[in-house]
Amino acid sequence: MKTLLIGEYREGKLLDSTYELLGFAGQLGAETAMLLVGSETQLPSYGGTLYLADAASCGEYNPDLHKKLILDAVQKENPDYIVFLHSSYGWDLAPRVAAALRVAQLSEVIALADGGFEVGCCNAKMRRTVKPAAGRAVVTIQAGAFPALQPGGIPLLQKLSAAGTAALEFIGYEAAEKKDVDLGKAEIIVSAGRGIGKKDNVSMIQALAKALGGELGASRPVVDAGWVEHSHQVGTTGQTVSPKLYVACGISGAIQHLAGMKKADFIIAINKDKDAPIGEIADVLVVADLMQFVPALTAKLAKQ
Amino acid sequence: MEATRQIYWNIGHGVVIPMYILAFAAFGVMVRGFWQRLPIWRQGKALDRFDRFDERVKRMIGEVFSQSKIYRVTEGGVFHSIFFWSFLILFAGTMLVMIQADFFTPLLQINLLSGEFYKGFSLALDIAGIVAIVMLAGLFIRRFIIQPEGLEIVKDDYIVLQLLFAILITGFLIEGARMAATELQQNPDLARFSPGGLLAGQLFTTMTTGTLLVSHKILWWLHFALVLGFFCAIPYTKLRHIFTTSANAFLAPFEPKGFIATINLEDDSVEQFGAATMSDLSWKDIFDADACTSCKRCQDRCPAYATDKPLSPMKIEKQIGELAEGNPKGSLSDTVSQDALWSCTTCRACQDVCPANIEHVNKILEMRRNLTLMEGAFPGDEVRTAVSNIEVNGNPFGLTYAARGDWAEGLQITIMEQDADVDILYFVGCYASFDKRNQAIAKNFITICNSAGVKVGILGKEEKCCGEPVRKLGNEYLYQMTANENIELIKAYNVKKIVTTCPHCFNTLARDYKDLGLDVSVEHYSTYINTLLTTGRLRLAPEPFNFTYHDSCYLGRYMDIIEPPRAILSQAGGTITEMDKNGYDSFCCSAGGGRIIAEEKLGSKISEVRIKMAVDTGAPLLVSNCPFCLTMFEDGIKTGGAEGQLQVRDLAEIVAERISA
Amino acid sequence: MKLLVCIKQVPDLESRFKADAAGVWYNETDLAFRMNEYDEYAVEQAVQLREKLGEGSELTVLSIGPDRVVEAIKKSLAMGCDNAAHIQDAAAFAKDPWQIASIIATYAQDKNFDIIFTGMQSQDRGSAQVGVTVAELLGFACTTTIVGFDYDNGIITAKRELEGGIKGIVKLKTPALVTCQLGLNIPRYPTLPNIMKAKKKEIAAIPVADLLAEEPLATTTSFHPPAKKGGGIVLEGDVGDLVEKVMAILKDKTAVLR
Repeated sequence: MKTLLIGEYREGKLLDSTYELLGFAGQLGAETAMLLVGSETQLPSYGGTLYLADAASCGEYNPDLHKKLILDAVQKENPDYIVFLHSSYGWDLAPRVAAALRVAQLSEVIALADGGFEVGCCNAKMRRTVKPAAGRAVVTIQAGAFPALQPGGIPLLQKLSAAGTAALEFIGYEAAEKKDVDLGKAEIIVSAGRGIGKKDNVSMIQALAKALGGELGASRPVVDAGWVEHSHQVGTTGQTVSPKLYVACGISGAIQHLAGMKKADFIIAINKDKDAPIGEIADVLVVADLMQFVPALTAKLAKQ
Repeated sequence: MEATRQIYWNIGHGVVIPMYILAFAAFGVMVRGFWQRLPIWRQGKALDRFDRFDERVKRMIGEVFSQSKIYRVTEGGVFHSIFFWSFLILFAGTMLVMIQADFFTPLLQINLLSGEFYKGFSLALDIAGIVAIVMLAGLFIRRFIIQPEGLEIVKDDYIVLQLLFAILITGFLIEGARMAATELQQNPDLARFSPGGLLAGQLFTTMTTGTLLVSHKILWWLHFALVLGFFCAIPYTKLRHIFTTSANAFLAPFEPKGFIATINLEDDSVEQFGAATMSDLSWKDIFDADACTSCKRCQDRCPAYATDKPLSPMKIEKQIGELAEGNPKGSLSDTVSQDALWSCTTCRACQDVCPANIEHVNKILEMRRNLTLMEGAFPGDEVRTAVSNIEVNGNPFGLTYAARGDWAEGLQITIMEQDADVDILYFVGCYASFDKRNQAIAKNFITICNSAGVKVGILGKEEKCCGEPVRKLGNEYLYQMTANENIELIKAYNVKKIVTTCPHCFNTLARDYKDLGLDVSVEHYSTYINTLLTTGRLRLAPEPFNFTYHDSCYLGRYMDIIEPPRAILSQAGGTITEMDKNGYDSFCCSAGGGRIIAEEKLGSKISEVRIKMAVDTGAPLLVSNCPFCLTMFEDGIKTGGAEGQLQVRDLAEIVAERISA
Repeated sequence: MKLLVCIKQVPDLESRFKADAAGVWYNETDLAFRMNEYDEYAVEQAVQLREKLGEGSELTVLSIGPDRVVEAIKKSLAMGCDNAAHIQDAAAFAKDPWQIASIIATYAQDKNFDIIFTGMQSQDRGSAQVGVTVAELLGFACTTTIVGFDYDNGIITAKRELEGGIKGIVKLKTPALVTCQLGLNIPRYPTLPNIMKAKKKEIAAIPVADLLAEEPLATTTSFHPPAKKGGGIVLEGDVGDLVEKVMAILKDKTAVLR
């Protein structure tokens, strides 16, 4: 079995998540080759074949050219699986490759399953086992689902290039809004989710964070609603955190959020819904009304 | 000597023609004043308030002459009522004099105003005049010296009070002058029947006859001019209320309290829903502004106003009046402000206490309808979410509809889907279905029914929100959608009787659903349990307890159910200590008018104010009869710092604990 | 200009999911359905563009599924779409993203759409494939996960959401397809006059057989709940007790309270 792993490169840097692709291939027990649109100065610590195209000429985001490069490598490698991360780069590119090859794409794989792949659905509440009809398939793997593997070594470079006019022009990056907090370094994070109901209740969560000596985090909907600054967002589009204690208040546990905080040492979730997916990864799930429980806990902590 | 007096004494009968001409002219000015208001009122939509004419006339006469709505609020009201009756006697007396002088004497040659009758007549009028002056003085002191909070002093108040004082005083002065020249010398016995005149007459005793006669003449004309001024001033000052407020007693609706016109959603020709500008309100809504006397009773009762929210029902009436006159095309919601509109809990305290039969609540609802249906506006994001939850899952919490009947698991209860042959259908409502605290109401109600041998059915997961909160927020479309689904189900199961534990469901099912074609007997559990007790189907083993009781707005003010819950609690062994604001005067919990799904962001918390009233009674227990109230009070006890001082429990919980084995 | 927005009706995620008889998808009993949240943003963006373009532009909404999806279509029409295509398919759930994309592409092929909007993914299946695949099949320019959209004279300027809060700015020439991320705009609440008008708008019903020529490329073999992580404690009951218990846990299990 053979896999072609599509690495990621952004703003001139190889992304660490690329090594998770190797973790996936390792679990699959497959041979690997890698393709990267990047730079020779930033090579992965990987001893296998690396198809390298220059990001300076092919762009960091240019799906048309990147697709061509991948198809080129597919022809040379003849892999069973073409593997991407389920990321803004991966989910954008994978369907194009799958369509060009007329093969199945299996999205956001979280584990290998008997005779196929395990994927989440219904906002992580359920799982599906899927398998491709034909042999070959495109796979995107969920960020954080597979261990990052750094085998070491110097890649065997095979340079690729592509050219052509694209219907899409990448203009540039817009930096993330300035951070007033670095959650990545926080030891204690208390996060607010949609379950807090309204902006005014953010202060209630903030009070608990203060009582615990931690920082305020937030889930995506809370940030989208403008209740909390983006710099506090935990999850795939926010920050990936690994505090000693993570308290999730009114967060049901959308997969994007879980991916950002599941490495926390200890997770306490407070939710009115006993069946919320957050319960699957929480060490303690408190089934309660936030409005009652959080102030009560804060008051108790204040007395300590 | 015969007891009578000479009418037109010193003035002469020659005055009759100019007097009548001037009177008619003044009357003309008055009519013209009202006539000019007509186009303003007519900006509103058509509305039939002239049907059932006889009943309306009867109601008007009853209300106006009894003054019952006025003296209900003692402060200010008693003075007004007594002044009204006194002034009425004076007016009737003056009319009688006019009829005597200008009809009976010249046409029939009879004198009614003589003998014993004249003595009574004279005494009655003099006493009425004195009383009127005293009452007017009381009103004067109240407005200008005591100055109760919220009572504004405007130009009209000076004009009206001075005018009335002047009329009354000049009246006595003429009488005094006449008596000084006549009765005091000729018939002192008779003079005793005019105590006011007797007193005023003392002022004139030192005058020479000539001066006296001239003074009398001047006073007479002054008095007459003042009266003419009074008539002319009516349409242009607050005095207009003599007619407009009285007219409102005629125009008041006959529909059950809380009635809101059901919008016909099938009518394609309608392009405007709710009230955006003046022409979307009814003419009666605009007329209301003229009927308002700014007595501020509504404002005094308004829970939103009392908690520093930007709503005063009185101010809304005033704003509508000003807009109708000054800028009829202007936006109502901008004038009144969205915050004010969303602050209303539709508790109906304003409308209930209004002595002028003004319909505040429906105006607010019509303006909300415009905001919701035409602009897609919400009081807040949480309401947007709750509304979308009701659309999808039939409850504001967004919990799966399939779990609606889960609370009933293991209880002796029938799901209609499986067996529709039941004694009553219990319409549970969202709070008692999903909210843990409120599920206790549902469970205890079932215990009570089981003990009384009543077979209870529920719709379970088929039941949907009754639609009350969204309807009161103006979303008629969503209301009708959920309501029609409920109605179809209830009809399909051939339900004979529905009981609710929620006064909001109760009102909606019993009254609002009628308009959508549901005609089933609907009862609130308070009267239902009371009947079970009086018929002996349910027996209680009373245990003594002290409590205070909260009348939910939609049970008390809307449905006139005040006594039955108290009777039940008394049978259960309870001793009540009433809060000052109870019964029809009850103070809202904050959750009506759709506020249950909205956050209370402005001002202080209504529930905390109510909890304080309950704590102040000294009773350790507050009994409520509504899931919304219970929810608000549980919160209010915690946030208002009354924990340990007061406990809130539902009627059903108290009863179920005392069922006799 | 001709615009198309593709929407899906999905179960409300608060629902309790159970596998269907074949064990490959959810059983629809007791599920409440609503418009896919991502698609609401797509519809809003499409309607905003339609309003900006004014006369001479046309916005079609398309949905594949059983009769129930007409509800979601009606909502889109009430939000401001001009007309609709309901591709009738009682077994849409059994089709893989490749088939769904080909159905849409076949429908759109001869209709000269300039811009197609889709949600970034569906909330129930979450494959995030259909939009991009449709673009691939039609040869449209395409970008995904947009949180900003602007159109001027044949050029779309879109802002893509990337990891870590960074955004990528992209220009696309029409014909193009964009997939919309949450937070792109604020989806409007339909007004009653628009709901009424929507009732009269045309919904073309097209049997799926007319548009489908592809076999599935992937199959689902099982639909099941995730295995519960062992060791997690669930605490329920009185708030006071809960606070005590959590305090004890914080003391025993974490370094927070000492």
